[in-house]
Amino acid sequence: MPPSAKIQIDLSSQVPAYRQIVDAIRVLLVESTLPPGSDLPSVRRLAMELGVHFNTVGEAYRALAEEGWLDLHHGRGAKVIARGSPGLASPERLQEFRVQLRSLVAQMRAAGVPAARIAAELRAATEGLSQ
Amino acid sequence: MNNDLPFSLLMAAFVGALMLLLPHISPRRYFFAITVPPGFHSSDAGRTSLHRYYAAVVGSVVAAVLAMLALAQEAPALLPVVAAAVPGFLGMLAFLWERNRVAKVAPPPGAVREADLSPDDDRLPRWIALVLPPFAFPLAAAAYLRAHWNDIPARFPIHWDIHNHADRFAAKSTQAVFGPVLFGGGMMLIMILLTLAMFYGSRRGRQRTAIVKMMVATIYFLALLFSGIGIMPAVQFSPSVFLIPAIVFPVLLVAWVVKVLRDPKMPAETTPDQCWYLGSIYVNSQDPAIFVQKRIGFGYTINMGNRLAWLIMGGFAAAMAGLVFTLPR
Repeated sequence: MPPSAKIQIDLSSQVPAYRQIVDAIRVLLVESTLPPGSDLPSVRRLAMELGVHFNTVGEAYRALAEEGWLDLHHGRGAKVIARGSPGLASPERLQEFRVQLRSLVAQMRAAGVPAARIAAELRAATEGLSQ
Repeated sequence: MNNDLPFSLLMAAFVGALMLLLPHISPRRYFFAITVPPGFHSSDAGRTSLHRYYAAVVGSVVAAVLAMLALAQEAPALLPVVAAAVPGFLGMLAFLWERNRVAKVAPPPGAVREADLSPDDDRLPRWIALVLPPFAFPLAAAAYLRAHWNDIPARFPIHWDIHNHADRFAAKSTQAVFGPVLFGGGMMLIMILLTLAMFYGSRRGRQRTAIVKMMVATIYFLALLFSGIGIMPAVQFSPSVFLIPAIVFPVLLVAWVVKVLRDPKMPAETTPDQCWYLGSIYVNSQDPAIFVQKRIGFGYTINMGNRLAWLIMGGFAAAMAGLVFTLPR
């Protein structure tokens, strides 16, 4: 596993900690920073490292397992599994993503990031995912 | 002049010096046991805080000296107590006072937490096996005692006064002869269990490895010390030979700790300031860590908000109490 397989969460954020863990690990999974076969720390270990309750990490692992990313072993942590390509998202789901993306772009514009830079960032992000 | 006075004056100066060092014997992320941003120590607020604390400690030593001079004739027995308690207590009050002030001016620590998803760091280092060889020392001591059983006198010293004169004796028995060796071996075993508990019950980081190294070194020291003490019924030499190692080992340990603490690469653990009481008691039921990095000094302290921590410390206390019964009376 490459040394950059690190996640960060912000305990003062409005976003629940378990959701932040799911999102952060999913980025690593999609980018193949965590390839199939990789072992993840046990629920207890990750909870300790992040300073959150065991249930928070347990819930995050279960959510990722339901998405097909992880195989959970009782008491032995989790293993990344090969995930089949999902079918194209439904129009409703695509609309949800579009709303989230527009919201994110608006936040970046409001923070003073130029449109060209936002486009470059999005391009870089999608290129990273396709590798 | 009272004989206790010079010794007590020296002790007051020593305790005062220790109190002056107190803000400096913690990781650099902490200042008076409060999380501060880099550079806070050298800021105006930081320097003012430190100078105010120094003045309070020096004042407490002066107060102790004046009290000792006043008590020297009337209550000489109280001099060592005053020498240790006045600078110690007033110095600690000054420390806590500054801690509150720093907490008000230092920006609140961030709530961002980071974790490495690699499971590799959870494996004990291979060199942990170094804890096993020192058990050869108490075993060898026990074998030596058994082989020389007939050389052991019917009554042998087990305690010496400050002038190195034996003042307590034990009658020859299995417990009296083998007790100290058994006690030493038990202590080493407890140290190993505590090391494992600390390794698996604390967050990853360079400090965790450093603490394990310190524990391994301590196990070697205990092995040599109690094996040496253990063979005394058969060999009967002066216990003063233990004086030098008993001083040198802690001094070397402290020197190493200071070196480790000064290392800018040594990370500080992120724990909420509001969960720390008196700068050294951590209570956080939301934190699954059993052991957390100390904010004063080097090492770990238990998370008193974690039930498992109470269980471990209860077991540790019970084991220590049980070991005491192995010693000759």
